[in-house]
Amino acid sequence: VSEVEQLKRRLERERQARKAAEAIAEQKTREIYEANTRLQRLNDHLEDLVQQRTAELAAARDEAVQASQAKSSFLASMSHELRTPLNAIIGYSEMLLEQADEAGQGDLVPDLDKIRTAGKHLLGLINDILDLSKVEAGKMDVLVEEFDVATMLANVRATIEPLMAKNGNSFEVRCAPYLGTMRSDQVKVRQSLFNLLSNAAKFTKQGRVTLEARRLGGHDDEQLELQVADTGIGMTPAQVGRLFQAFSQADASTSRNYGGTGLGLAITRHFCRMLGGDVVVESEHGKGSTFTITLPVAVGQAREDRPERPVGGDTRATVLVIDDEHATHDFLGRELDARGYRVVHASGGLEGLRLAREVRPDAITLDIIMPEMDGWAVLRELKADPALRDTPVVLVTILGDREMGYALGAADFLTKPIDADMLARVLGRYHARDSQAEILIVDDDPITRDVVRRPLAKAGWSVGEAAGGREGLAYLARSQPAVVLLDLMMPGMDGFEVLERMRDEKAWRDIPVIVITAKDLDREELAWLNGRVEKVFQKGAYDRAELLRIIDGMIARRMAEARAGKQPAADTA
Amino acid sequence: MKGMVFTEFLEMVEDKFSPEIADRIIERANLQSGGIYTTVGTYDHREMIELVSCLSDETGVPLTELVRSFGIYLFSRFHVMFPSYFNGISSSFEFLQKVEDYIHVEVRKLYPEAELPSFACDTPAPGCLSLTYRSARPFAVLAEGLIRGCIDHYAEAVDIEIEDLSGGMGTTARFLLTMRDAPP
Repeated sequence: VSEVEQLKRRLERERQARKAAEAIAEQKTREIYEANTRLQRLNDHLEDLVQQRTAELAAARDEAVQASQAKSSFLASMSHELRTPLNAIIGYSEMLLEQADEAGQGDLVPDLDKIRTAGKHLLGLINDILDLSKVEAGKMDVLVEEFDVATMLANVRATIEPLMAKNGNSFEVRCAPYLGTMRSDQVKVRQSLFNLLSNAAKFTKQGRVTLEARRLGGHDDEQLELQVADTGIGMTPAQVGRLFQAFSQADASTSRNYGGTGLGLAITRHFCRMLGGDVVVESEHGKGSTFTITLPVAVGQAREDRPERPVGGDTRATVLVIDDEHATHDFLGRELDARGYRVVHASGGLEGLRLAREVRPDAITLDIIMPEMDGWAVLRELKADPALRDTPVVLVTILGDREMGYALGAADFLTKPIDADMLARVLGRYHARDSQAEILIVDDDPITRDVVRRPLAKAGWSVGEAAGGREGLAYLARSQPAVVLLDLMMPGMDGFEVLERMRDEKAWRDIPVIVITAKDLDREELAWLNGRVEKVFQKGAYDRAELLRIIDGMIARRMAEARAGKQPAADTA
Repeated sequence: MKGMVFTEFLEMVEDKFSPEIADRIIERANLQSGGIYTTVGTYDHREMIELVSCLSDETGVPLTELVRSFGIYLFSRFHVMFPSYFNGISSSFEFLQKVEDYIHVEVRKLYPEAELPSFACDTPAPGCLSLTYRSARPFAVLAEGLIRGCIDHYAEAVDIEIEDLSGGMGTTARFLLTMRDAPP
């Protein structure tokens, strides 16, 4: 009995324990359920919160975008308002300088020169500020084109040499034998280099400035290194530390003693980085500074919306140089560029033929002795190609076999070493100026028209003027100018509309247009202009000699096209 | 005190002595719970003292010896029920050093209301481990049993010196463990 009692008690305890465990399990289940519900509620609340924050951020972003657009359009119109009068100041002072010189009033020259220099300085500042604000707003575009490095350096050298002479500095350019071409934004490369060189010229007196250029690296990541070294005042490490910041110069006294805003180096660094490279400095106080720009030879990954041939592309008459010697390329590149030709380089016969078909040059200089394919073979192929046979070919060689050259259809003959002036005369024969050609200036600002017209007239062109878009079109209906120089921002019909009307009209479609504007163009506008116009100049920022040279080249090209198209046989003899 | 200690104790009594003795001590002891325990519940620790006293009376085995033996038994049950705590541990010193900072932390996650003793460790010399037990309850002997169970589990030869720091109350004690020789 006691065993049964005992088992009963034990069973009862187990049963009670099971019930207690079930009660605890139920309570825990409820607690877990409630905890889950709280979590769910918290989660929903968090999602609401995220949505609300996202909406706030989107609103803030829209506001920022709007503000940025307002700022951009303010900058664009401000640049227009500032550049137009500056263009007049610089243009008139340049003309007065020439007149004073010619009229024997040399005593006026220093004062006029001060006006011109101050104007240019102010323009430089405006451009720098605009550049910097564009860079910082992410609105600075990279326009990639292929260009010859040695030619670019020769240009920079010619521009900077007077500045070097001013402080009694000697200036030396040391180029590696082969610099080749690069695919990059030429304007930015040139401006970066120019900034470094003008700084070197400014901070060095009776010293030496050296520009060294060389190609570095392997096949895939070739770099161009441009090094500017001076023996000037140099900098302390602390000064170097804040050098590339905008509005910061070595110290406050620098701007008193040397002028400038300290924007140049900040812009230079931005530009170099945009092009995939950088600029670094080494300096010793009192001894001098060395700035080194390193840039990839080809800027990576072309953007889809990048214009094929950027506005501002070369419109000068093109000479294709086919030669296997680097020295000849360097020499001809430099000399022909200085004489207003665009030079395309081919280092062998096959490449020469390919480039001739691609570029359609206005003239070709051809070496005879080349490995693989010699000049005779190239000449034969050129003359066998209907599209190329009218292109004048000048043989440049140490061989004296003139008869063979003429028999194969060479236009002319030069022996090495080349006399640059002789070459220019020979090329000039195929590139004579048509003084009958007329140039039309369309601009609503009479002062701008006057500033543009006078040097053109002086150079012997006949110049017509129109004071607005409608007047411009009326002029075109009456007469057929060889080139149109067009302003963009005009009341009534603006330049963009003029371009559209010209494109619609068959007779006007092929007239080359050069835009001279004070407007700060954005990427969309540049893309729109690309293909519609030959070149865009900023008011006040262009070189009058360059404008003349380009108009020269364009008219020569049109004449050559007319010759080739209308009377191909008559002109080649 | 966690219900698991009670259920394991009664199972041990049934197993090592007899179901009759288990029934008798439950009947004799004055238990608020009526001797109805589940592993997931929590019960007054004085019931454990009651049960052990009754068992001592019943069997004539001294109380401390019973509690120590229960500690050794309980440790072997830990290994059966919670094998994950033993993963990657290869010696008693290693295990004992994890009690405070790992095992008690995990226990608190499951049972936030658990009142656990503190179990501070120190290694005064190589091959030596000093453990200090502090509790609101007089279970230093149970702790000793658990430590011995741990040493048995890893089949080690360790000397234990015990020093009661609570004047014989059994609420605070230091255990100084010394490895007899290098493990084989």
